[in-house]
Amino acid sequence: MKVEHIQPFVSAAAVVLREELNLEVERGELWVAETDYTTREVTVLIAITGQLEGTVLYGTDEAMAVNIVYELTGERKVIYDDTCESAIAELGNVISGRAAVLFETQGIQCSISPPSVIRGRGTIISTVNITRLVIPLKTRLGELDIAVALRENR
Amino acid sequence: MAVVLVVDDAQFMRLRLNKLLTEAGYEVVEAANGAEALEKYAQRPADVVLMDITMPQMDGLTALKELRQRFPDAKVVMCSALGQQSAVLEAIKSGAKDFIVKPFQPDRVLQAVAKLVN
Repeated sequence: MKVEHIQPFVSAAAVVLREELNLEVERGELWVAETDYTTREVTVLIAITGQLEGTVLYGTDEAMAVNIVYELTGERKVIYDDTCESAIAELGNVISGRAAVLFETQGIQCSISPPSVIRGRGTIISTVNITRLVIPLKTRLGELDIAVALRENR
Repeated sequence: MAVVLVVDDAQFMRLRLNKLLTEAGYEVVEAANGAEALEKYAQRPADVVLMDITMPQMDGLTALKELRQRFPDAKVVMCSALGQQSAVLEAIKSGAKDFIVKPFQPDRVLQAVAKLVN
């Protein structure tokens, strides 16, 4: 796993959060995940295939998903529901799509899978032999961790 | 009232687009995948179709091709997170009238729809 492969996801997230939600992003420190356990209430999983292959995980809390739905629709959800789940999945999808375009500008072709959502902390998601690098992003609506586990497949 | 068929597997995206278009005075019909879109269009041809690409059962590019084959006058705008050149080119070659990369700006969607309706 190369550190430079996380940058397109971070850049894409900053652009998407600013354009969609008018959010400024404060980037935290990069760290290496020591375990395969999910650490957030909601994790969006997207598989990457092509010249890069692996997984990207977007971890956040239910409150952020509720806040996103409110910001984008004006509808205040009392609890995390299907709409919130769909919203956070779509956020992961859009960030990953934008990252794929950034990779393309570097001459790297890759495709993204539809998003899957894992609920609850402590679920094991193995990225097998690929190291998982994590970068936390702080926003006024909550925190979003981006965990990237990719290897080159050229 | 012009009818817009919104095709996206993400419930949240359908909700957002429905709200945006309804408030702008359009009637909205929703479909969750390409196959459902073909069925709904056959029942009631929409003035404009807003189509996602990555969807289960039948993806947006396949649906676009089939729709244009069966209904050559169908006006389709692709609206997708997949903004790579290859996806855009394939969509345009297959007959899409426009391509909107998510995240979309509401004005961009309304402009694209209005242009095709008019």
